[in-house]
Formats: sequence, structure tokens, C-alpha cells
Amino acid sequence: MIQNLISMNGYGIFVWSSFAITFFVCGVVYYKTYKTLKKYEREFAKEINELSREQKASVIENSKIASQVISSYSKTI
Amino acid sequence: MFKFFSLSNTFIWIEKLTKFISSIFFILLLVALSFALILSPPDYLQGDSVRIMYVHVPAAWIGLASFSTIALLSLANFIFKIKNIKLVTKSIAPIGLMFTCLAIVTGAIWGQPTWGTWWAWDARITSMLVLSLFYIGFILANKLIAQEDKADKVSSLIVIIGFINVPIIKYSVDWWNTLHQPASIKLTGTSTIHSSMLMPLFLMFFVLLLYCALIFLMKYKTEIIRIKKKNLKRL
Repeated sequence: MIQNLISMNGYGIFVWSSFAITFFVCGVVYYKTYKTLKKYEREFAKEINELSREQKASVIENSKIASQVISSYSKTI
Repeated sequence: MFKFFSLSNTFIWIEKLTKFISSIFFILLLVALSFALILSPPDYLQGDSVRIMYVHVPAAWIGLASFSTIALLSLANFIFKIKNIKLVTKSIAPIGLMFTCLAIVTGAIWGQPTWGTWWAWDARITSMLVLSLFYIGFILANKLIAQEDKADKVSSLIVIIGFINVPIIKYSVDWWNTLHQPASIKLTGTSTIHSSMLMPLFLMFFVLLLYCALIFLMKYKTEIIRIKKKNLKRL
């Protein structure tokens, strides 16, 4: 049964390579997108942390996004 | 209503949606792959090579749907000048290009056992290649043109012109004699594909749509952070 699944009556190389290419590309794109997002989050959090205490407090108070990024960033470190 | 669609609220929704999609994605993927590779029957003519359809067809649908969405949103942006629309189109374009290329590559792999050739300058295949060129044009215009307004105008123009290609792709198999088979699934009228193949096809389509949603949400989130980062520098 496993041999049949692999060979697929001689079409295995075409079928498996189609699925492999599709999922490999999807995996690479997911990884790259995730990495880019994390890089931006890290840089954003770093820039907020570099602000003066008053500026930082006002940014976090006024921006839900900033507070969310700061909290998720502090969870990861 | 407008407050609901603000960047801050969108950002929170993105977090929640990403978590939800991630939690169901792998289970659905496993089910879809089991149907596509094991449980669905081979075709009476094409044998097991028909299984390529389960990645080729959803990839082509997503490529076309993404481009149509970008074109319609760009048209709306052209008229109403809504900043968020640009973020959405910029986030969708790479996903659409990826799936268009995947449809072309998996189509070539399917072509070898069924037609005896990897490539033919057939109307459907060529028009899909043209679609990928429009995608590249749209992405490059946004990346290479420094002035944001000009980049918006040029990329919107590219995609609106490229939209003419979408019905050409759809009807190419009816208008010309092509190696590519006519559509088996029709929006109006009865489909010529058995339910035992139709169900796994829609399941794979749904799983790939969820994947697109995940990538889109991450890209959109990145764009929002990029804007916020720019605003931070102005402080």
C-alpha cells in the first residue's frame, strides 16, 4: 500500500514534486514573513524603549499598537 | 463604524484572528492532504496524475482572486484615496504572485504526463504568465518608486490595466483551441467533476485560503508597525 502511495502508478514523481514544491514555497514564504514581522516588532519596541521616560509613557498610553508590541516583545525576551 | 476599522482596532483583531487560524490550520491541512493524496479516487483517463489538480487549481484560483481584489481595491483607492486600501493591496500582491507562479509550475508538472510537454504557448498558460508579469510590475512599482503618491498612481494603473487579462484567462479555453482543458467547475450550470474529487478540491482550496489569510495578516501587521515606526520618528 505504501509503495502504491509513493509510486502512484508511475505518476508519483509528478504528484509528489507538485505537492513538495507548493508546500516548500509556502513554508519559505511563511518563515520569511514571520521573520520580517518579528524584526519590525523588535525594532519598534527598541525605538520606544529609547525614548525619554515621558515620551515613552505618552506613546504607550496613546497607542494600543505600541503597548501591544511592547508587551509581546517583553514576553519574548 | 470608522473607529472600528482604525489601525489600533485592526491590529487587535489581527492578533485574535491569527491565533484562531493557527489553531485550526494544521488539523485541516492534514485532513485535506489525506483526501487529496489517499482517499480521493484516481481519474479514469489521467490516473493518479489528477491529484496535481488539488494544488494546481486552488493556486490558480487564489492567483486570479487576489489580482481581481487588488484591481478593484486599487480602483476604489484611485477614486476615494483611502490609505488603508493601499496597505491591503500591498499585503495581498506577494501572496497572489506566489500562487500564480505555483499554478504555472504545477501546471507544467501536470502537463508532462498528460500532454507530453512541460510548456506550450497555449492561451491559458500564456495569459497566466502575463498575469504574473502584472503582479511583478505592481510590486516593483511600489518598491522602486520613492514618491509614495507616484508609486500609488503607477501601481494602481498597472493593476487596473492588468485586470483586462482576468476575463481573458477565464475564457481563454472557450475562445481559443487550447491544450488546457475547459473549466470543469462552473459558477452557472452543472460542474463536470464528481463530488468525490470536488470535496477534496474545495477542502484544499479552503486550507490554502487560510494560509493566505495568515500571511496576509502578518504582512498587514508589518505594514501597520512600519507606519507607526515612521510616526514615532517624527516625535
